[in-house]
This record gives sequence, structure tokens and C-alpha cells, in this order.
Amino acid sequence: MSAIDVVRPPRSEFARYRRSLWLLTVRDLRVRYSTSALGYVWSILDPLVMAGIYWFVFTQVFQRSVGNEPYIVFLLSALLPWMWFNGAVSDSTRAYIREAKLIRSTKIPRTIWVVRLVLSKGIEFIASLPVLALFVIVTGATLHWQAVYFIPALIMQSMLTVGVGLIVAPLVIFFRDLERATKLALRFLFYASPIIYGVTDLPPQLHLLASFNPLVGILSMYRAAFFPDQLDPLTIGIGAGVTVVILVAGILIFTRTERAVLKEI
Amino acid sequence: MAEPVIRVRDAGIRFRRNRRSRRNFKDLFAGRKRRARANEFWALRNVSFDVQQGEAIGVVGRNGQGKSTLLKLVAEVILPDEGSVSVRGGVAPLIEITGGFVDDLTVRENVFLTAGLHGMSRPEISAQFDEIIEFAEIGDFLDTPYKHLSSGMKVRIAFSVISRLEEPIMLVDEVLAVGDKNFREKCYRRIEELLAGGRTLFFVSHSEKDLRRFCTRGLYLDKGALVLDGSIGDVLDRYNTDYAI
Repeated sequence: MSAIDVVRPPRSEFARYRRSLWLLTVRDLRVRYSTSALGYVWSILDPLVMAGIYWFVFTQVFQRSVGNEPYIVFLLSALLPWMWFNGAVSDSTRAYIREAKLIRSTKIPRTIWVVRLVLSKGIEFIASLPVLALFVIVTGATLHWQAVYFIPALIMQSMLTVGVGLIVAPLVIFFRDLERATKLALRFLFYASPIIYGVTDLPPQLHLLASFNPLVGILSMYRAAFFPDQLDPLTIGIGAGVTVVILVAGILIFTRTERAVLKEI
Repeated sequence: MAEPVIRVRDAGIRFRRNRRSRRNFKDLFAGRKRRARANEFWALRNVSFDVQQGEAIGVVGRNGQGKSTLLKLVAEVILPDEGSVSVRGGVAPLIEITGGFVDDLTVRENVFLTAGLHGMSRPEISAQFDEIIEFAEIGDFLDTPYKHLSSGMKVRIAFSVISRLEEPIMLVDEVLAVGDKNFREKCYRRIEELLAGGRTLFFVSHSEKDLRRFCTRGLYLDKGALVLDGSIGDVLDRYNTDYAI
């Protein structure tokens, strides 16, 4: 960005970014709620139906040997954050295309088109937490002090999701196939991450390898609130390292491709 | 002489000739220093000029000679491959003016959204809201979803919002060709008001009449190069001799 120097105090530039981010997020939520009758219900119905299906398959059909009791809490505590990651990454394949007209008319730092997706899906995630709370109360699961890991999990997941989004969004412009490839990769990642099973269910020889998937560490931190045995410092450490690498790679790819992207849209 | 508000130095930008041509990863990450490949052309090259505050500049040239590209470079919505473009202070871009508007939201929500995205604060918008609506002559449709407006109304409300932005530089593309004659005249009067208020204008048009009306200085672009930078009269004369019918 060395070619462009806008003489404006940096703080006001940042304030504008933050304000624009907020406006776009509110806009998304408003559009969603003004065009669908069920509004908020949709953001909890989806994980609820999915959780219902898994619960039925794994506790009623198969004799489950994975996960902990109560299984529905075990499932939801990882499924809800997964849906945030999944939603934000699959939306970021269209981050530029959907807003092309707006991008062609404003010069807000272009990272906003990815960050806002992560933010609005994150808000939906937070809004869906009461569902988890409900099942915790119904099943009488105990809440441990490890619930504080929710905060680092939230931060790490935001970093990871932004990083992946920054990689995917510009590359899709040049390689349209990537849009479908991303969907496929996400489906793979769903089973490769401890969502319907726990980290401890993995065979020991896979444990180290799995740690390189940062979602393993992240999801185990969310789960620690109810299932502290899922926590493994090494997994979290490796996951945090990989997260930082992905975020840095995302920022580099995003800035290097920016001028080419702007010409293309 | 005071610091220029727009400073363009040896700016150049290239595009691919063929959209479908193969591209590879190396191209994508090669950055600014890479030399042009066979399937690319320079839409603009070696363009340098300064603009002082309060100047009204008209950009003249045939179709496809880089006028709109220059406007976008000044708006900083595309970035140069060579040289530099620096703009001091904010820009009110009257290009793609309907870009920020969302079909499913009402006119009222859209005004706050678009003005906000272009940097106006909420109290500022509230203070000017009535004027914006009155200018667009759209008072009865405040709570109508944007998608139900006629295309003329859409452009009117969009122009009304963008022309209210308190930015020192105005960029105007040929958007004003839309809308009926009355509204166009109203837009032009608004631009004149803003000019009188000390704004800087950057204007792209094919209409000689409009160019003479607003502009004092002209930039003549031909084949991606800045051929002449002078008074608007000289620039138009040169253009007319080059392309006399």
C-alpha cells in the first residue's frame, strides 16, 4: 500500500473501519430478519435439527462408543462453533462477488468484506448459545471452571476464520473451482474435527497429527466447560501456532492479490 | 503554491486483453515490478498531474482511452501498477452511486446505510435527512423497499445521498446522463453550488457543453497517455481537431 498515502489521522481511519464494519453487520442481520418470517429461529433451528439427527443416529441407532454423557451437550458444544466457522468460510467464497458494486465505489480497506462475514456469523453463534444452555439445564450437565477457556477459544477461532477467509476470498476470483472445492474441504473437515466424537476418542498415533488441525484445539477449549478431560495443552499450543501461520498467510495473500482482484471485479 | 489535493505521478495500470486467458499463481503474486506480458495492455501509462483545491477538471477523450480508469484511480477503488496516486482528504465518488443500496431495505434504512458507509456520522445524516429526501423528491416512498422504486427514483436518491457527503473532492462520471431533464438540471445546479463552496471537481463526460459549463482545466487522454493538460477550451479544441468528422 506504499503507493497511497491518505493524509488523515490513523485513529479516525480505524474508527471509520469499525463503524463501517458495524453498519454492514447490522445491515446483514436486518436484511435477514426483514425478509424471513422466522428470523432468529433460523439461526437456532439449523444446529438444533443437526444435533437432533446426530443424537438419534449415535445414541438410538448405533451403540455409541464415542463422546461423553450427556451426548447432546457434548455434541452442541462443538457443533455450534463449527457452524460459525463453516458459515463464515463458505460465505467468504462469495465475499467479493456479492458486494462487487459497493467495492467498486468505496475505498474502505478491503479486508472488511471478509471480517464482516466472520463478525455476523459470530453474532449468530453467540445468539445460538441459549440453545446449549437449555440442554445443559435439561440434562443437568455440570459446568466446570474450565468455562473460562471460552474466551481464548473465541479469539483463536476468530483469528483462524478471518485467516482462512482472507485466503479463500481473493483466490476464488481467479479460480472459480475453488468455490466448490471449499465446500468439499469443509465437509471433510467436519468429520476430521472432533465434533461428533471427542479428541480422546482418536487413536493415540493420530493424536499429534490431529493437533495440526487448529479446530481440534479450539473445539476442545469450548468443550472444556463441561468435559475438562478434552483439554490438552500440547494440542492447543500447536493449534495456536497453526492459527497464527494461517492468519499471517491470509494477510499476505490478501494484500498481494488486492490490486489484481480490484481489476477483476 | 499550496499542497495539491490530488497528486498523480507516473501512474500506470494494465489490464488483461483476454478475460479467459490462462493465469498462473506466479502472475498473481508477482507484485508491481513484473513487466507486462504479451496478453496485457496498458490502459494508462506515465500519467502525471497535480490538482489544487478548488480546481474543476474535465477529462476528455474518446471511448476506451482510459477516462473512467483514471477516475477510479483517483477514487482509489483500483490501484496503480506503476507510479503513485495520492489523494488528500476524502472523496465523494459519483460513480456506481447505487452501489451501496440494498434491495430489501427501505429507502430510509438505505440512506443511513449508504451515507454511513461513505463516512457520515449518524447525527450528520439525521440533520441532513430531510434535505436529502426533498432533493430526491421521494418523500412518499420513505418506507418502501428500495427494490420497488423506479430506476429513475433509485438514481435520484443515490445522487442525493452522495452529493451530501462533506468531502472536499467530487468525482463525477457520466451517471448524470440518467434521470429526466429536470432532475439532471437540478443535479448540475447542485454541483455548481458545491463548486462555489470550494470543492474540487473531477469530471468525466462526452458532452462539450457540460465540460465547458463546469470545468476550467482539461486533461486530454488518448491511447492511455496524457496528451494535453491545459485550459478546458484548449483541450476541447485539440480534441475536436484530432477527431474532426
